[in-house]
Amino acid sequence: MQIRIEENSGVSICRVKGDIDINTSPEVKKFLEPVIRGKKNKVMIDFSEVNYVDSSGLATLVEVLKNMKLYGGKLKLVSLSSKVMGLFEITKLNKLFDIKTDENSALSSF
Amino acid sequence: MPVKNSQKIENNSRLLKEVSKDLIVSLKDKGINEGLLFDIQISFEEALRNAMVHGNKSRDDKKVKIDTEIRDDEVIISVEDEGDGFDPSRLPDPTQGDNILREGGRGVYLIKHLMDNVKFELGGRRIVMSKKLKK
Repeated sequence: MQIRIEENSGVSICRVKGDIDINTSPEVKKFLEPVIRGKKNKVMIDFSEVNYVDSSGLATLVEVLKNMKLYGGKLKLVSLSSKVMGLFEITKLNKLFDIKTDENSALSSF
Repeated sequence: MPVKNSQKIENNSRLLKEVSKDLIVSLKDKGINEGLLFDIQISFEEALRNAMVHGNKSRDDKKVKIDTEIRDDEVIISVEDEGDGFDPSRLPDPTQGDNILREGGRGVYLIKHLMDNVKFELGGRRIVMSKKLKK
């Protein structure tokens, strides 16, 4: 799994490549810690190169969202594959997260 | 002819992916579609993770027993840990109320939704699940 962050129009865009699972979700959590510590208000996670997310990955994302909400930050998830989106729908996390189909619609919705 | 496999693995989450990959490759060779493979992979890995983390409490002196059977029209997977077991009927629904904000508790829920049949045996120490294979 690879992860990097870039800034665009005041939005921190976190690009993940690979699986977010029991072995990699601690890395995602660790990577996003400075973002939360820095109280970044606008954060987007790009899922376009994520093919697999397990319950550890979902748990990590819930934790990130909860931590961001504590300081009023907004988190958006973009470009989820239909299979990964299916997991969010089964667990009803699609109602908890703000999920956008593409990056432009996410950027304009902050 | 059904293809059966039985093994005991170390309680190490790094092995989880290897074991899962072996099963998925075998199913891929049978021409199983990607959607079904995804459902089976998620369910198998969630069961292995539960066995390693919750059942065996991440202890490296414990093992996980895995039995798989690939038939023409179905895959059957059994994952057994060496823990104390649990009562699956007491698992909270992770989609209800404040449970949605909990970080854990979605593994078994996903398995029940993605597989056709799921049952617990040996006081919760073993999960047996199956999925019909449509090519």
